[in-house]
Amino acid sequence: MRNTCDRFKSWAILIVLCTFSNVALKAQGPEKEPVLKAAFIYNFTKYIEWNGQDREIFVIGIIGNTPVYEPLDAIATTKTVGEKRIIIRKFNTPGEITDCNILFISSANTYPLSSILENTSKGTLTISESPGFARLGTAINFVVLNDKLKFEANVKSLIDEGLKASSQLLKLAIIVD
Amino acid sequence: MQVFTSVIVLGLCFIVLVISHINDYKERKSEGMISLSQVIGSSSISAIQFEDKDAARQTLSDLQKVSPDVLNAGILDQENHLFAGYTKKGEDTFLFNSPGPGVRTVKFTTHNLFITNKIIDNTDTLGTVFIRTDLKELDNIKATQYRLAIIILIIGVALAFLISFIVQPYISRRLLNLVRIMYHVSETGDYSKHVTTDGRDEISTLSKVFNKLMDQVRESQNKKDEFIGIASHELKTPLTSIKGYLQVLEGIENNEPNKQYIKKTLDSVNRLQQLIFDLLDVSKIQSGQLHLNISSFDINVLIEETIASFQVISPNHTITRKGSTVNLMVNADRQRIEQVLVNLLSNAVKYSPSASEVYVSTEQQGNEYIIRVVDFGIGVEKEEQSRIFDRFYRAKDNSILISGFGLGLYICKDIMTRHNGKIWIESEGTGSVFNVLLPINYIAANL
Repeated sequence: MRNTCDRFKSWAILIVLCTFSNVALKAQGPEKEPVLKAAFIYNFTKYIEWNGQDREIFVIGIIGNTPVYEPLDAIATTKTVGEKRIIIRKFNTPGEITDCNILFISSANTYPLSSILENTSKGTLTISESPGFARLGTAINFVVLNDKLKFEANVKSLIDEGLKASSQLLKLAIIVD
Repeated sequence: MQVFTSVIVLGLCFIVLVISHINDYKERKSEGMISLSQVIGSSSISAIQFEDKDAARQTLSDLQKVSPDVLNAGILDQENHLFAGYTKKGEDTFLFNSPGPGVRTVKFTTHNLFITNKIIDNTDTLGTVFIRTDLKELDNIKATQYRLAIIILIIGVALAFLISFIVQPYISRRLLNLVRIMYHVSETGDYSKHVTTDGRDEISTLSKVFNKLMDQVRESQNKKDEFIGIASHELKTPLTSIKGYLQVLEGIENNEPNKQYIKKTLDSVNRLQQLIFDLLDVSKIQSGQLHLNISSFDINVLIEETIASFQVISPNHTITRKGSTVNLMVNADRQRIEQVLVNLLSNAVKYSPSASEVYVSTEQQGNEYIIRVVDFGIGVEKEEQSRIFDRFYRAKDNSILISGFGLGLYICKDIMTRHNGKIWIESEGTGSVFNVLLPINYIAANL
């Protein structure tokens, strides 16, 4: 019951915020937002420690169509995480989701969040861009405050996934639990 | 001089000290500020990466507490746009120039220290930290240092003065004593005087060397006097016999020009004998063996006789008597007084080759009898007047033209001193007056 109520509330906020944030981000430059988000996603890798993953590649999964893909792909071709190459994987349905280091849940995704979270393996940093999603279980959630791109961090989700976030990152984040 | 030296040394020390102190402070300050900029930079990396200007501003605002002398600070992003800025309360904002290509720069101006430090994450340059620091503290340090330097310099100078004030008399007293004795020796020829040597410093060494030198001089002086004494004595004996035979020859030879030759030879022998007598006298004076033979005689008669006999020897000059010619009995050594008169007359004639007149004026003044021998010759220069009575002293300009040892006046002075009398010269321009003051009643002089 509580869950449904929360979800409703968050959707309501989402609708309201989307209206505003679009305007706000337009003021900042609509074409800049995905680039910024891509850069942020890449920068998160510098402040988060993944334990027990000894793959030779760093996988960033994206669910839902999003303009963030292109700048993120550009980053993936030029940069690495540590020594690891970056691989971008696009998923269309929660069922397609495979092992990732980061899963970006775009706002264009229409599947319920819970179904996505259920399909992510442990040790995945989930990043969303929908208001209230952090409270709903994603580790990081982009929000726009005062025309600026910020992010929320769900410390509990981070701990549950076995991820260590640096204090440098957390001090910039809006902490939710 | 010592004070001046110490002031210079102290001053130099202080300049070096103050400069090194200031440089030290600057170095520490710049190191501190570089560390601070490093800390700001690294703690702002995440803020830059996530474009969180507020967080960066928050980091910078901590400077207020951490380092109050930072006036302005700023973080520029990769494009050198201001990412976050900080200005101390009450200070003006400051526009930083674009950073140079170097990783960090340190620049001192009169009142500020500027630091730029690039923020580097792995290999990426994310931005630059700027810090502008107030150097009021440095000004204070400078002022304190200068004040301290001046105070210590004044104390140093005062101490130097005090020390030299204390030490100076000790040194200069002994040096002046040495100088005094040197003067005394050079004036009197009394080489027996010694300087006291008490200590082991340079002045004592100097004194010792001086004493040793004086001993050597005295010794050689003694030997010389001894030699003169012996030589003149040995010369006198054969010369007396030569003179005796010449006199006999003069009496028996009537043929010319033989008689003329004998006469000339006799003149030369007389001159030679006179020189030897002078040397003997000097030798006696030096060895303290010149004794007066006091008797009562008529001084007026003596003068008349002396003038008369001298007139015979120098026919070119007219010797006139002036003043009182009253007969007067005096107690003195007749022979020695005569010697003085002859000496003075001979000098008067010798040193006035062009003039033809010499006169002797006499007068009695109470218990003293004054004889003046006046000539109109070349005179004696002021500077020379005090020295003409010295042994072997001869007037500079004329010593080549006029023969003699320069012993006559020395002997005269000694004779007069022994009579408790005086002899002195008055000479201005041409001519000179030699004055002899003789006490009528002989009182032994305290030599």
